[in-house]
Amino acid sequence: MQMRLGRHTFGPDDTVMMAIVNRTRDSFYDRGATFDDGPAQERVHRVVHEGAEMIDIGGVRAGYGEQVDAAEEIRRVAPFVAWVRETYPGVVVSVDTWRSEVAREVCRAGADVLNDAWGGHDPALVEVAAEHDAAVICTHTGGLAPRTDPYRIEYDDVVADAIAETTRLAERALAAGVARESIVIDPAHDFGKNTFHSLEITRRLGEMVATGWPVLVSLSNKDFVGETLDLPTQQRLTGTLAATAICALAGARIYRVHEVVETRETVDMAWSIAGRRLPRRAIRGIQ
Amino acid sequence: MRVALVPGVLAFLPEYAGQVDPVPDVRAAALAAAAWLAEDGPVSVVADEQGARVGRHLLRAVGAAEGEGPDRSTGYLVVANGSARRTDTAPGYLDERAVPYDAAVEAALRAPDPDALAGIDVALGAALLVGNPAALVHLGTLLRGAGPALVDYADDPYGVQYWVMRWVVTDPGHVSEGSDA
Repeated sequence: MQMRLGRHTFGPDDTVMMAIVNRTRDSFYDRGATFDDGPAQERVHRVVHEGAEMIDIGGVRAGYGEQVDAAEEIRRVAPFVAWVRETYPGVVVSVDTWRSEVAREVCRAGADVLNDAWGGHDPALVEVAAEHDAAVICTHTGGLAPRTDPYRIEYDDVVADAIAETTRLAERALAAGVARESIVIDPAHDFGKNTFHSLEITRRLGEMVATGWPVLVSLSNKDFVGETLDLPTQQRLTGTLAATAICALAGARIYRVHEVVETRETVDMAWSIAGRRLPRRAIRGIQ
Repeated sequence: MRVALVPGVLAFLPEYAGQVDPVPDVRAAALAAAAWLAEDGPVSVVADEQGARVGRHLLRAVGAAEGEGPDRSTGYLVVANGSARRTDTAPGYLDERAVPYDAAVEAALRAPDPDALAGIDVALGAALLVGNPAALVHLGTLLRGAGPALVDYADDPYGVQYWVMRWVVTDPGHVSEGSDA
């Protein structure tokens, strides 16, 4: 299915690298590296140069941490959205927020996508998306409130739960007036999940793809990779790429990443193995 | 009567397409030669089984009508190439006999010299991974009465000798039968 992310359209076999740019002091991987404008702009220049088709801008750390109210979140994110849009009009601009008041301001500033990483916590967010013809990402969090970690959450079937919840959110977005081709679902590895849940979601990602909604995966350097390999945050790239390959084989369309080049190569390789992408240049044995 | 020679490059086939064409120049020349044959009427393919797939693909790509037999065809598309052992990066590694072998074949094609083509050492050709020496012998029979070759392409970009050549035969004598060379 064709996928439209605000002003940008992607064909049924296109994959998208969504590079993370955090305007936070305390996000788990970058630890505030792009909180200030200068380094944030530098990171955007770099990831666009590396081939990212999409930038995901976040103003609030996903986990517990510094309180950031809506006004502060808007201050961190909205002017930066306008800057990215003006500097790179060919790049999709996404904002990671659960607040409709933030969503409204970033849409006014030119955001194409609202990455509702806390699974419909603010029901008005999809109305803002519809109003501005923005795309929306519908996420499974297992019912957790924003910025909380799972504690003894269990599921009868985590994949079934993720499908039920994300497709329910997708239908709600559709009913609110968001275009069908602009709705994406995300099982949200680690969100409301222990490592066993995230591994199972990865193993059975094809079931989510089979819903027909385009699937986004956010795997990059997450705890389920770290726990699986017993590695700290900065040593999780290989594990991340292994999980990425599995999700690509299953047909995930959007990859939310810290490392653009490595993820792009992994996805392209898996996509070609799956028969959805031609090799770049093949002559071996067929001269 | 028109006759053309193209190499049996499997990379020409759509099932082996990549995003970037590794053989753009020889492909363009081969397609142009096929189109040139098609201008004059139905075309028969002279090739082995694998080469026939390449030849038929080229004809389809230019919208050519395939002849139903030698007597109904006005043109022949011969699918054959030189050695695949010309360099140490060639598919069959280096065999020092390859370059002189190809040079002799090329001289016979350019002239053309049907007798020289008829006398090709088929066994050595097979050892040198020549793309179907029998088709080159068959080509020799088609070129009796032909003028000099128009050479559109002669190079070995991957250690395999490719030729794209065209001939006009003004006085076709005996046309041998079959297309299973």
